[in-house]
Amino acid sequence: MMRALCYNGVNDLRVERVPYPKILDPKDAIVKVSLSSVCGSDLHLLDGYVPTMKPGDIIGHEFLGEVVEKGPEVRRLNRGDRVITVSVIGCGECWHCRHDQWSLCDNSNPQPDWTETAYGQCGAGIFGYSHAFGGYAGSHAEYIRVPYADHGCFAVPEGVSDEQAVFVSDAVPTGYMAADMANIRPGDIVAVWGCGGVGQMAIRAAWLLGAEQVIGIDRLPDRLRLAQIKAGAEPLDFTRVDIHDALMAMTGGRGPDVCIDAVGMEADDDAGSVQRLYDRTKQALRLETDRAMVLRQMIRACRKGGTLSIVGVYGGVIDKFPMGAAMNKGLTFRMGQQHGQAYVKRLFDHIAKGELDPSYLMTHPMALDDGPEGYRLFKHKADSCLRAVFRP
Amino acid sequence: MSARAGAGPAERYATILTGAALAFAGLRRGDPVGALVATAGGGLFLAGAAGVSLLERTGAGALAANLGQDAVGLLPVADEPVKVQANVTILAPAQTLFRFWRNFANHPKLFPHLERVEIEDARHSTWIARGPGGAEIRWRSEVDGEHEDALLSWHTLEGAELPHRGSVLFLPAPGERGTQVRLTLIYHPPGGAGGRAVARLFGASPERQAGEALRRLKRLTETGSLPTIEGQPHGSRGLRELVG
Repeated sequence: MMRALCYNGVNDLRVERVPYPKILDPKDAIVKVSLSSVCGSDLHLLDGYVPTMKPGDIIGHEFLGEVVEKGPEVRRLNRGDRVITVSVIGCGECWHCRHDQWSLCDNSNPQPDWTETAYGQCGAGIFGYSHAFGGYAGSHAEYIRVPYADHGCFAVPEGVSDEQAVFVSDAVPTGYMAADMANIRPGDIVAVWGCGGVGQMAIRAAWLLGAEQVIGIDRLPDRLRLAQIKAGAEPLDFTRVDIHDALMAMTGGRGPDVCIDAVGMEADDDAGSVQRLYDRTKQALRLETDRAMVLRQMIRACRKGGTLSIVGVYGGVIDKFPMGAAMNKGLTFRMGQQHGQAYVKRLFDHIAKGELDPSYLMTHPMALDDGPEGYRLFKHKADSCLRAVFRP
Repeated sequence: MSARAGAGPAERYATILTGAALAFAGLRRGDPVGALVATAGGGLFLAGAAGVSLLERTGAGALAANLGQDAVGLLPVADEPVKVQANVTILAPAQTLFRFWRNFANHPKLFPHLERVEIEDARHSTWIARGPGGAEIRWRSEVDGEHEDALLSWHTLEGAELPHRGSVLFLPAPGERGTQVRLTLIYHPPGGAGGRAVARLFGASPERQAGEALRRLKRLTETGSLPTIEGQPHGSRGLRELVG
């Protein structure tokens, strides 16, 4: 038996003893987890906004560890390899995987009916991310089974530390993809909503991809400070300034050329704002599932003909979407779950060269037994928590 | 109107299926409402297994006969065949897919309720399936059209409980996307109210069956296996533990 952090109900996490994972398919590997990070998207699960969670589900999807067992068809990995695993599971063989659209994998979701019904087609499975996304056991455990291991596991090169590498599972490729999708041109000013782990990485990636200036938007002073010092953003506190006016002042009235949403469905506004009350009420009544404040702000602020790049997670439907503004301003929308497998090698290169250092995201290394406390700190952004990372 | 001592096989099967579905759905809810549904479902399942005709008991059968309407949904009588179709694109050559499909012995990998297919000769085969409760259902089938790597069609022979015909079409997809596969199944509802009930049940599920079969064909061809989470660890499921 091993220890694992399990979902038991809305905001109810427990460390339980569960059986060890087994190889279930010849393409599987078993990884002994040494670091496993919390992620903002977990909060949507814990808060009950993503249906299809079952009591007993092991959560966690951003992890580093050592390959301890592999199925007979695993060719590219060896026992003892220090690896990260991309959070999104790709079979490596379907048309989408072959075209580096790994999160659109046709084959990796064993329970495709929910998303097929709700979204029209099913997407990839994701570790520890509800049964709609496959129901795969997550990484907040001593061991985890990795399907399609040849495609999902990547050996960490020498010179890249565990603390840097673990975030190449999810936060780094997600942030990087946000900037990559935006097709940044010389002279472009990029504004990033949300300075959590993904937002910090999106800011850094925007610089690496040639942005002229990068603006980070949040309300938490510690996160804004890190965005400024570590990622090089101009910080904007939305509780202190009118974001629209500030962005216009910083862009000569044009608006940012690229707006990145690193927040998603649980967006927050000024505590007293009418819009916040509206969205929270409708969400509570399940009249809309996702709060869209960030999207509305981005559409209004974005430069005419500019690009919105969305990597903050949405699950269902949003309300009061300003389609007229988006259409008449000729905006381009890019979005998606990360296609991490397409980016890992490039990201390790950046890290090895010292151009990118995600290790500062790990503000709270903790024991797995402290999992519920880690999520409490992370959820309430207490004690300047950017990411709690468990050492099982 | 012919006298009936109990439920006919078709009606029995319908009752068993409905009962099992309700019982399962009820148990999955794991709350008092679910328990009620499950109990009702279990009752139906037993009635079906014991051959008790619910239609006769409720008089719905007689009413339906008088009104010329379906006993279960009170829909107008329609002896028209039920047609379902599913489509999928698979990153593989038509030849590979055609050969897999043409070997009917592979079909239990695509249709989970099929136990085995016995090949008799190039055109004839016997299909053996398990219904809920483990009841064996078998029928014979004949291939009536074959264009190599492109089209295959077949129909059931006399004596099948649920007569049907099917065809599968393989077309090259544009832009190196592989092969588009279209599976069409046409069911001929057997006579009698119970028979129509079976058809209705299959009317809801053949579509899923057809879609699921093509999904399995795609996954087996592209990756060599079906993705699974069966047997992975999890914590306590609470009340749900009883039904997995």
